[in-house]
Amino acid sequence: MTTQSPTASAVAADDVTEVSRGSLIRTIASREIWVKLHDKGFIASTVFFLLIIVGATVIPIMISQQSHDYRLAVVGDQATAVVTAATGLHTSASSGDVPKVTLTTSSAADRAAAEALVRGGNADAALVADGTALTLIGRDAVPDDLVILVKAAAAQTDVSRVAAEAGLSSDQVRQLVAPTPPKVDLLNAQPDRAVPPILLVMIFGFLFYFAVLTFGISIAQSVVEEKQSRVVELLVAAVPVRWLLAGKVLGNTVLAVAQVTLIVGVGLAGAALAGQSALISQVAGASVWFLVFFLLGFLMLACLWAVAGSLASRVEDLQSTTMLMQATVMVPFFASIFVTEPGRVQEVLSYIPFTAVLLMPARVINGTAASWEPWVAAGIVLATAALFVVLGARLYEGSVLHTSNRTRLVQAWRSARGGRS
Amino acid sequence: MALDRVSFDVRPGRLTGFVGANGAGKTTAMRIIMGVLASDAGTVTLADRPLDLAARRRFGYMPEERGLYPKMRVLDQLVFLGRVHGLTPVLARTRAIELLEELELGDRMTDVLHTLSLGNQQRVQVAAALLHEPVLLILDEPFSGLDPIAVDAMAARLRARAEAGVPVLFSSHQLELVERLCDDLVVIHEGRIVARGDAAQLQEEHAGTRIRIVVDGGTDWLSAAPGVTVVSSDPRGTVLELAEGADGQSLLLEAQRHGAVREFGRVVPTLSEIFHEVTR
Repeated sequence: MTTQSPTASAVAADDVTEVSRGSLIRTIASREIWVKLHDKGFIASTVFFLLIIVGATVIPIMISQQSHDYRLAVVGDQATAVVTAATGLHTSASSGDVPKVTLTTSSAADRAAAEALVRGGNADAALVADGTALTLIGRDAVPDDLVILVKAAAAQTDVSRVAAEAGLSSDQVRQLVAPTPPKVDLLNAQPDRAVPPILLVMIFGFLFYFAVLTFGISIAQSVVEEKQSRVVELLVAAVPVRWLLAGKVLGNTVLAVAQVTLIVGVGLAGAALAGQSALISQVAGASVWFLVFFLLGFLMLACLWAVAGSLASRVEDLQSTTMLMQATVMVPFFASIFVTEPGRVQEVLSYIPFTAVLLMPARVINGTAASWEPWVAAGIVLATAALFVVLGARLYEGSVLHTSNRTRLVQAWRSARGGRS
Repeated sequence: MALDRVSFDVRPGRLTGFVGANGAGKTTAMRIIMGVLASDAGTVTLADRPLDLAARRRFGYMPEERGLYPKMRVLDQLVFLGRVHGLTPVLARTRAIELLEELELGDRMTDVLHTLSLGNQQRVQVAAALLHEPVLLILDEPFSGLDPIAVDAMAARLRARAEAGVPVLFSSHQLELVERLCDDLVVIHEGRIVARGDAAQLQEEHAGTRIRIVVDGGTDWLSAAPGVTVVSSDPRGTVLELAEGADGQSLLLEAQRHGAVREFGRVVPTLSEIFHEVTR
């Protein structure tokens, strides 16, 4: 076709902004991000994850650190002495064994008055002394930590009284009631860890599995949607196919890394708020390598997900064309769960691209990897990623315009060879 | 679909109709022009320069089965497509709003595409093709699925673009429509171009030496007349082919001898007739 158009050649020069690769890829990428950020499913899953992480880090810590307030009605001198001792227990050397309980006391005239307070809900429990015999009165039940505290305080009061009667000096009494506990020395001490490493590896493994699967499928879906709706014809008439692929992969990678960083970050922030500095330093160190491998692993698979999408001609075909990819993602996940024992198998797998993504950070967390090892494994994954990007781009080019039916891999490979520019 | 030596021109300021049966190669040819398909051989040139992506980016294209994101809002996707074609975000937005208002879709801009009727989706598709002020329009079946009123509106729009100096190539099955609308014609059959050129001239060429005749008292005598071949005969009249050198005027005199001549004239074929003739 020839158009001899003075109009056409005159405008051809500068009306439309010059093609810029960077801005085109960014345009494609931002549409991917925009679509995903308006996807209720994506928002819901992110919020769900954040809630789980907050729940998992903050709630147990809050429970363990929570101090309970009890209102205790007190009857008799002996009972008052025990309550005083109980308050003092927190500050003594052996306080670690005593529950953190804050007592608010109110004195009652006699047992009947104390019972009335408990029954009326004005006191959580009552401690009644009849001579030296103590009774702890509750309505339905007496809280366990209160019982433990009162028992310990009563024992101490008894010991002090008997010791004083036996004529021991106040120093001796103190020695008796607050013995110096033995020091614990470990010959093969492990670094202080708030969370078992296996659990940490599993959490990271699951995050990787979940993110790669959701974002991978979302790449494939976005590709097949463009194919099915024929938007792809408009796009390839204006954008080189490789840039299109690059934009898609970039957009989804940015989102995936942002989501995982957010989840890990919120988890760390939650732990920081809860005052778990040991947990933070442990996880933060491990997170860096995890995130590096996550990024590399994601890039490695992203182009292949796009290929899986472009092989399908309708959204319904995705299930079958992405099967291989789903398996590919599952392998590192299960490897990270089952190959938890340090040893030859884990060492080898931590260098194989697919499993390295999780097992190398796992070895770093376990402290069984030398400092150079993650760098080598990262290099291997990066090289594989580069190979897959080239491979994926070609297969994507060869199949993305076959809109009529499912494309076979060989067919896609050959179509690309004919070469579109 | 294989194309064989398909060659035709699209001229500025003119509407070119591209007709052919299903599977004749219309869509394939258009996809090759747009670079969506690669041709095994041959070239597509614009003003004598081979087409590359930079040139194609300045074309407006409407694919056969339409191409928009079903789940995206109308305005958002036009802005996106504008940016893909190199417009700045602000310019893309301004033009998209202008076009949507011109297409009477001003109140549907924030609606998700698939909630629009098919006719309205088609208008959005038109907006997508016009957004970057293309220097050439390639439209695959722009009239399919439109009601008569929408057809007229679309025709007026294409005409306006052509008059603004933009060459327009569109394919259609609706031969009457193409006949009414087009300045130039390209007829494709089984991957080959079988007719092309100025529509009126084509009709003239194919008019040949045929004559339609209606005479009271029948035309049975025609079979014996010299230099005359009867092509068809029905109640509307008899069409005959006059051999080269045969005299039309003497035939008319002869006819008058047989009865009153109600009609005697040269047959100018409709596009539909030309189409059937050239694709036979």
